[in-house]
Amino acid sequence: MFSRHVTKQISAYCHGELSSEESKQFAEHIISCVKCRTKFEEVKLGVKLAEQLPQLSAPKHLWSDVEYLLDTPRPAPVSSPLWSWPVQVTAAAVLIVVLSFATLWFQGKPSIPRQRVPEISLNPSWQVTRIEGTPKIGTEQISKNGSLGVGEWLETDENSRAQIAVGLIGHVEIDPNTRVRLLTNQPTEHRLELARGRMSAQIWAPPRLFFVDTPSAVAEDLGCAYTLEVDDHGASFLHVTAGWVELGLKDRTSIVPAGAACETQPGIGPGTPFFLDASLPFRAALSSVDFHHDASVRSTSLMVLLNEARARDSLTLWHLLPRVYGSDRVRVYEKLAALVPPPPGTTREAVLQLDEKTLEGWKLSMEWGWIGGGKGKGKVWSKFAQDKDVLSEREKKMAPK
Amino acid sequence: MERHARMAEQLIDGRVIEACQQGDREAFHILFETYKDKVFSIAVYSSGGDRDVADDVTQQIFLKLFTAIRQFRGDSEFTTWLYRLVVNACLDERRRRRRLLPWGETTAMKNPSEKKPQEKQFARLEVAEAVREAIGELKPKFRLPILLKYIEGLSYEEIANVMGCSKGTVASRLNRGHSQLAKRLSHFNNPAAWGE
Repeated sequence: MFSRHVTKQISAYCHGELSSEESKQFAEHIISCVKCRTKFEEVKLGVKLAEQLPQLSAPKHLWSDVEYLLDTPRPAPVSSPLWSWPVQVTAAAVLIVVLSFATLWFQGKPSIPRQRVPEISLNPSWQVTRIEGTPKIGTEQISKNGSLGVGEWLETDENSRAQIAVGLIGHVEIDPNTRVRLLTNQPTEHRLELARGRMSAQIWAPPRLFFVDTPSAVAEDLGCAYTLEVDDHGASFLHVTAGWVELGLKDRTSIVPAGAACETQPGIGPGTPFFLDASLPFRAALSSVDFHHDASVRSTSLMVLLNEARARDSLTLWHLLPRVYGSDRVRVYEKLAALVPPPPGTTREAVLQLDEKTLEGWKLSMEWGWIGGGKGKGKVWSKFAQDKDVLSEREKKMAPK
Repeated sequence: MERHARMAEQLIDGRVIEACQQGDREAFHILFETYKDKVFSIAVYSSGGDRDVADDVTQQIFLKLFTAIRQFRGDSEFTTWLYRLVVNACLDERRRRRRLLPWGETTAMKNPSEKKPQEKQFARLEVAEAVREAIGELKPKFRLPILLKYIEGLSYEEIANVMGCSKGTVASRLNRGHSQLAKRLSHFNNPAAWGE
């Protein structure tokens, strides 16, 4: 069933109408199928829009109008050639309605027994399982299992850990000294807030269904596994172990692939992503470029960073292009072009003017190298392959000869 | 609010329906109060946003309900039976209006609220208003499953029972309805448009 395209199941998936197994198979297919993923994004927008449809209030006079119709027998209409047959039928039906109700009405008025019913929970919660220690939901300690409702906090102390099942789409492991809150639980949006501490997420859903808000950025899952840590000042550190994560705050966005990491700072947002196997001077320089308040320090650090950059660090250089200005941007462009030549038709001017289409085209030509793929990306891969010391065995095998 | 509505629905048990079948006006009133907003909402969205038409349709639906409730034997859920009445009444009204409209005249959605909300500057309200209009432009076979899903909160199986079709057909129509909404309102595919 799921070896073929799954476009017909998209709404059912969004509404939780598929079984757990079907949902998992759906997600696995959609992650690997561009066609279905494109359609999924479209239908998901449709679902999000339809969710905004408000229920309207009936006018107050409606009951009195209905009662009037019930109580007032209306004269039978005079037959006229102008009356079409549907109108005659409708009028007859109304008369029958009124007469029938009058008959019912005079049969007596039994009292209405009413029954109290238990309150219905409208905020389905997420299952929480204690791993060790005594995690708390609100003020309640979890002995084995618990449930986290929308708006509730889950907190672990220095000796406790817990796991949260994110609906049907994945799970999150909560490390010691962590505080998280469930913000939204909807088919198209599963959102946690990580106030402090560390969590590891494994999500097998299609992209952009799972979000984590931190004090300095929002992590948006693009089909992945990752660890996210927030310190007491609200700064965070993201490390992606599979797939991709997008970190964003307002108009600043960083796309982080597996093997890469990204820092965020309150008031600034996400820094520039980098591969964890980059040299220490490169990483230290990047931190200054991203967050140092002194422009001259940033400029000097940029020189160090460019000297240290390898082909694989094109991830960082590509993200830096819109974040530096003037001669610094020219330097970043020249280094990036030397490491990974831009696709045919790309002009220096278009890149320096940050033409969106041009930058996207260049990124596409590099992406497969960032994630360790590379079929058909021979040129880029040969450049990556020169960094023999930074490629894993698997990556070396995959690189074109 | 939604919780209260759901609790009220729970109050409509077999005994209330039995009292209605015996002509108890108070029981009818409870039934009316429980479902009036949902029935009216579907009528508004199905009549192109014309509240006057929706008023008439809602009245007719409740008159029909009060008359026909004696025939309700409990073979299906009461809500399934009710929403079948609603869907049929909305489709009948649409057919009637199409016969009366001159050639070429459309039934584009009018603004269902007479006064635009003062808070229209808020992005979410703008989205809601745009969705109302776009819903009015969908074909009934795509619009009605969306209304039953989002206004009534029915499952696919319940929608299938109301519309007399299979669950697969419901899934397919919802899919196409969602796609059409997304295409008509593609400019909302941007967080800024939602005030985010």
